[in-house]
Amino acid sequence: MRIVIGEDDALLREGLALLLAAEGLDVVATAVDTDGLLTAVDEHRPDVAVVDVRMPPTHTDEGIRAAVRARRTHPGLAVLVLSAHVEQAFATDLLAGGARGVGYLLKERVGRVEEFLEALHRVAGGGTAVDPEVVAQLLTRTGTDAGLERLSAREREVLGLMAEGLGNSAIAARLVVSDGAVHKHVRSIFAKLDLAPSDEADRRVSAVLRYLRAA
Amino acid sequence: MTTAAVGAGPVRVVLTRARAGFLDLGRGLGTALTAALLTAWLIVVLALLPVGAGVLLAPSAVREVRRLAEVERARTGSPTLGPGPDRLRAAVTDRLWRRDLRWVLPHATAGLALGLLGTLLPVYAVRDLSFPLWWWLVPAGADASPWWWTVRTWPDALAVAGLGAGWALLSLAGLPVLARAQSGLSRALLHPPADVDLSLRVAELTATRAAALDAHAAELRRIERSLHDGTQNRLVGVNVLLGAARRALARNPAGVDDLLARAQTAIEEALADLRAVVRSVLPPVLERGLAAAVTGLAADCPVPCRVEVAVEPRCPASVEATAYFVVAEALTNVSRHARARAASVSLHRRAGVLHVAVDDDGRGGAEPGAGTGLAGVRRRVEALDGTLEVTSPPGGPTRVEVRLPCGS
Repeated sequence: MRIVIGEDDALLREGLALLLAAEGLDVVATAVDTDGLLTAVDEHRPDVAVVDVRMPPTHTDEGIRAAVRARRTHPGLAVLVLSAHVEQAFATDLLAGGARGVGYLLKERVGRVEEFLEALHRVAGGGTAVDPEVVAQLLTRTGTDAGLERLSAREREVLGLMAEGLGNSAIAARLVVSDGAVHKHVRSIFAKLDLAPSDEADRRVSAVLRYLRAA
Repeated sequence: MTTAAVGAGPVRVVLTRARAGFLDLGRGLGTALTAALLTAWLIVVLALLPVGAGVLLAPSAVREVRRLAEVERARTGSPTLGPGPDRLRAAVTDRLWRRDLRWVLPHATAGLALGLLGTLLPVYAVRDLSFPLWWWLVPAGADASPWWWTVRTWPDALAVAGLGAGWALLSLAGLPVLARAQSGLSRALLHPPADVDLSLRVAELTATRAAALDAHAAELRRIERSLHDGTQNRLVGVNVLLGAARRALARNPAGVDDLLARAQTAIEEALADLRAVVRSVLPPVLERGLAAAVTGLAADCPVPCRVEVAVEPRCPASVEATAYFVVAEALTNVSRHARARAASVSLHRRAGVLHVAVDDDGRGGAEPGAGTGLAGVRRRVEALDGTLEVTSPPGGPTRVEVRLPCGS
């Protein structure tokens, strides 16, 4: 897997590069600002860009905007955004262009290397990885989506885990229920959100997007 | 309180004060000359009133009176009033405009005389002191003497130089006095009366309160930014390194030590950052009083620094913290930019006001303008209703002076 890192903090940039290299992943370039990041993406055509939200000059949301731009110019590019704190608006901006190959994680998740690598691989493979913290924030809000209102508490929980990017069996393990039970919940969610049965993966992504945009 | 700049000596102080007095008198002379012209103009307008032309000219004369009074108020440190009446009829019933008018003639006469005296004294001093250098160049037959006696011999010329020395001494001693008299006259006549002063004060308080809220928000943003950029980022880095170390334990135990060493360095940096942030919020050293805190700052300053503190009873915490940052910033500038050989810090509490002064004998030229640390200090000071004054002529010495009301 070819990776470009955009991170202005030297310690974290080198730490990440070190960690990923030790895992046998190919860090092809690192950048300290958004211009450098976009240039590196143009030049190296990586599979994934790992991007910090706050970068120079204003240290607000440069990373998000750069990620959105990079995905517009390179449609296949997967982006994993790292943030010091969760901000729902960031997640919404990021997912506005589709949830395929998008991740949004708290920086401290990187320390749990296995889970981080799993999320990285999922995003690189076109999946989604949304930080549980973001999902937890969303769970506490009452949405305005009528379809979401119809979901039961358990179905919301399952949808939340889907939003984190987990597959059915992982959700089953997390909730300590059978795969079949999860499968049933997922079908029920699709039905309540009026998602026509087409491609299973597309329906999952659509459900997650509805969920994330509702807050 | 000792106001002499350390290491500069009293001579330098006298010179600095005389120079400041001379510049003040020059500016006062400018407004006095304008006041004299204005007086003449007012007489003309008044004379033309019966024939009608005066009616047309009156509004500009009315406005000019206020404009000049405002310039003088700004010069002498009185609060300004803003634009006044536009018409003669409104002006004569306007109490404040009439006050302005009553100032014009005294300033055009007494103020003018003081200004002329103040500017002529140094001119005489220079001319007469240098007389022996050029008197013999004057063609024979013409009278070279600047005064009433005729200079024919070298002893005569030296006598003129002696007179010049007298003028010089008189200038040094007299210029600050003349300047004070000139601006004192204007201030007495132009300073807004108590009730007007009060409403100006309300406007000023409203502005400083807004500034206090701004300063507060800016301070919170600064703290958030430094916590994020320093401590938080470092800890995230440590977390990554520890994660990598755990993974390496199984595969490459030899590399673990390097990762742990890096993690430890990062933690030390995070702690140093955190310490700096904590100190910048409210220096813990202030718990032991302003005297101890400031003495500590002076001891850390690479330039030898004398400290003089008399601040009992203690001031409010916000005042102490601000005074501390004033001294810290001033001493940082002394060590970084001033090229000073010595500095002195003095803090005194008198009549409910904390006076802070930091002097150095460096090269001067400090600008409290935008983007400098002094600008930040000024915002902090003004938020507490205090004043900051920086005197730093090119060549030095520099004096940073702050007054902070202690609220009691």
